Amino acid sequence: MPPSSAGASAAGAHVARALGTPWRAVTVFLLPAATFYVAFTAYPVFRTLWNSFHKVLPAKEEFVGLANYAELVRDEIFWRAVRNTLVWACTSPLFEVSIALVLALALYAKVPGRRFFRIAWFTPVLMSYVVVGIIWAWIYNYDWGAVNTGLRALGLNSWTRAWLGKQETALPALIFVTTWMWSGFNMVVLLAALHSLPSEVIEAAELDNCGWWGKLVHVIFPMIRPTVLNLVVLSFVGKMKIFDLVWITTKGGPLWSTETVSIYVYKRAFEWNTFDLGYPSAVASVWFVIVLGSVLTLSYVFRQREKLEY
Amino acid sequence: MHRLQRAVVLFALCVFTAFAAGPFFWVATMSLRTTSEISRDHYAWPGTLHWNKFPDAWFNSNYSTYFQNSLLVVVSAVIILTLVGAMAAHCFARYRFKLNRFFYFIIFSTIIFPPQITIIALFQILVQYGLFNSLIGLTLVYVAFQLPITVYILESFFARIPGDLFEAARIDGYSEMAIFWRISLPIALPALSTTIILNTILLWNEFLYAVVLITDEDKRTLPLGIQRFMGDQMEDIGMISTGLMIAIIPVVLIYAFFSEKLIQGMTAGAVK
Repeated sequence: MPPSSAGASAAGAHVARALGTPWRAVTVFLLPAATFYVAFTAYPVFRTLWNSFHKVLPAKEEFVGLANYAELVRDEIFWRAVRNTLVWACTSPLFEVSIALVLALALYAKVPGRRFFRIAWFTPVLMSYVVVGIIWAWIYNYDWGAVNTGLRALGLNSWTRAWLGKQETALPALIFVTTWMWSGFNMVVLLAALHSLPSEVIEAAELDNCGWWGKLVHVIFPMIRPTVLNLVVLSFVGKMKIFDLVWITTKGGPLWSTETVSIYVYKRAFEWNTFDLGYPSAVASVWFVIVLGSVLTLSYVFRQREKLEY
Repeated sequence: MHRLQRAVVLFALCVFTAFAAGPFFWVATMSLRTTSEISRDHYAWPGTLHWNKFPDAWFNSNYSTYFQNSLLVVVSAVIILTLVGAMAAHCFARYRFKLNRFFYFIIFSTIIFPPQITIIALFQILVQYGLFNSLIGLTLVYVAFQLPITVYILESFFARIPGDLFEAARIDGYSEMAIFWRISLPIALPALSTTIILNTILLWNEFLYAVVLITDEDKRTLPLGIQRFMGDQMEDIGMISTGLMIAIIPVVLIYAFFSEKLIQGMTAGAVK
């Protein structure tokens, strides 16, 4: 909004003009987007919700009421998937954002080669999960993967294992991959937030003889808090949706230890030969409500106004 | 002492850089080595550079098809997205009408939807309309998928264009369409290029919709092709690396030329 009075009066004239809304122009401009939105977003969402109360076989559909939801409550694999996804979504933001904060502060301290570091660290996030998944499946390879090769070189032969093949290590190993992938992204956002801080405030803190720790905790952190919380929500939502990486590396195995909700929906809809699209729709609907609910709760808790994604 | 501190920090940053970029570097070296060379030592520097592996993957393993499909889908989706998104964003930013904010919020909130909520029904719908297993169907879905973020980025830019400019144009007798084409779009060029680059990268990498909506070998996009190739040639690490590099190189090229734009696009909205 224009702050000056001249600007305000111009805005007023603008409103007066707009009273005769050019509906024709509005329609012409909005129609293409609205068509795409209704046909490929809104309608599919409602159709999925509708599916979830039916048994949807290729040739016929049959109303089953809440049967799908009742089955879901008893479905142990579903609960396993929920647990895995929640573990992922709740731990990732902590790792990603804290590593990113350390890196951002290091670059903020004006080390040489800042531009290079920033650009290099951002690269993982530009690659598709398919590429990243294949590379990391190799890095975790038992015989010649970088992790085990490194451990052997350090004489820690007893530590080597098939990282993605063991139930205890598969999920942590994948969480490590997403942390590797997203830390740089978070760092870039935090660095931008740091650079937008008013320098007078920081200089004032320096004059007051604040130590660097005091400066960080009492001056810098409170000011970048909104950005940090945004990143936490962003990272959380991203992990709630995660599919590609798991599909390429473990397909949910071994023994459901990396099964996520998205993977389970896909398997039930397109891999298992049950041919019923109703049950996976119920899973997707429940997850949809949970994701939306948790984002709303988080942003309420963080007292943030919108602007959540990307 | 201060110097020493600095050196330690710099060293740590270099280690992290190796950690962040190392995996890609490793694949790049393997893409120029044969699988038998690789299995002797996975981490050796490429002695002879086998550039011929690239044409080999391109012509003999269907990579030319995958690449062309990806290019076709991404370019057409991005063109449609830019036009449709800019029109909608212009409309939201420029006209005051009842329910303006309501419609904007409806579109905006879709950004957080998990794709699973649409994917099953999209499968049914595309089958119904004969768009399943077609690049056109995939393109249309991609447009809908990226529309919210595109409208969001463009709207916030359009909203900052001073209204006086439009008043002046109106007085000069410009039609609403002409105002959009000849004033809004040229001014918004920086924001448009941000969304174009962002959408190109995200769609180039997209996997979930493609894996559900495409099954024919000759319609696969690059991520699907790589997955297929990986399944077929499990042991042929050298060739898979070459395939990975074919998918990575366009992204790296775009990043080399437009790194700031790309970072801006990817992080838009996260900065408060």
